[in-house]
Amino acid sequence: MKSDQLKGHLDVLLLAVVDVRPAHGYAIISALRDQSEGAFDLPEGTVYPALHRLEEAGLLASHWGEVGGRRRRVYQLTGAGATALAERRTEWKQFVMGVDNVLGWAPA
Amino acid sequence: MNDQTVSDPIEVYLDRLLVELSGRARNVRRILAEADDHLRDAVESGVAEGLLPAEAEQRAIDRFGSPATVARRFTRRPGRLLPVPVLSQLVLALALLAGVGLVGVGVSGALAGGMGVAFGKDFVSGDVAGVTYTPARCADYLEYHPEAGTCARAATAHHFDEIVEYRLAAGILGLLVLGGLFLVRRSSPLARVIPMGEGVGLLPDGFVATTGAAVFGCAAGVLIASGLAQVGGGSGGAGGYLSGGIVAAFIAAAFAVGLFRALARRAEVVDAVDDLARLRPSPGT
Repeated sequence: MKSDQLKGHLDVLLLAVVDVRPAHGYAIISALRDQSEGAFDLPEGTVYPALHRLEEAGLLASHWGEVGGRRRRVYQLTGAGATALAERRTEWKQFVMGVDNVLGWAPA
Repeated sequence: MNDQTVSDPIEVYLDRLLVELSGRARNVRRILAEADDHLRDAVESGVAEGLLPAEAEQRAIDRFGSPATVARRFTRRPGRLLPVPVLSQLVLALALLAGVGLVGVGVSGALAGGMGVAFGKDFVSGDVAGVTYTPARCADYLEYHPEAGTCARAATAHHFDEIVEYRLAAGILGLLVLGGLFLVRRSSPLARVIPMGEGVGLLPDGFVATTGAAVFGCAAGVLIASGLAQVGGGSGGAGGYLSGGIVAAFIAAAFAVGLFRALARRAEVVDAVDDLARLRPSPGT
């Protein structure tokens, strides 16, 4: 999938990945690529601005921690982030259901 | 700097990224540190997959994106101007505070009216001792309140009417503002921040409660102090200040409760951080 098709969805995808467990940037991007089975393979450096933006919005929190023997910035979901993710999940399900209904519709 | 550092493609990449980045020094250092970590991880991963170190370095750099692209994404982030969703929620939050404030003014008008009945209009709207009125002004007051008999009493009655009526009108305006916000909240997801610190927050958690507690707390302090000074000085009009101060104190207390709840919610984040610290491997393991 081209990166521009991800526009508007990257934030919620990042929240969903961090929802599983707190993680550092490389782990988040790897999880995004693995869980999408390679569909979301975007310039990795462009994910960090999104992580910083989500942190500024109060949806993520981060701190320096030692992971695997190296000092890394670890991101985790905040309470506001969890609420935002739940809402976006609901909206997405409604959107997909609506599109499915239209695409699957056939005149009798 | 030795030759190895100079020829290290990742070091070269980080140098180029540093040149492209702008902004606060702390942010730049953080971005560089994260990029460094990321690239080293990616190289390790590539080598583990069987790539030669040089190939793994080049793939890591290619996947990260050009320094100019990465830097542009960071600088594109809103710096001085707030993004529209945040600005919208800020406006709505301030409108909520204004609506609550106006309703509070209305309640204080009703309270001032009650004080006038209980303690006399002079307690609410009496002028300070020694005030004189021009004949024209005096005639105006007596035209409104001919039953007052004296110019001073007519002025007090006129001020009393203004205090009560204008404040009640402000209260009605406040109800309209709050009613409008209620309708906006039902129609726009952006407005879900309106409850006191609840909901999805593009604003900091507890923003409304914190601001409300601070603003109305300060207002209560100033108004009550002014009212007590009037009482201490033997002047009339203390009730006008005290009625406002008492209502502001109640509103500040309500926002303080909201602020306490917002702070309590932060405990979830603290617990998550503690959990993470426990999961973190200790040095040497």
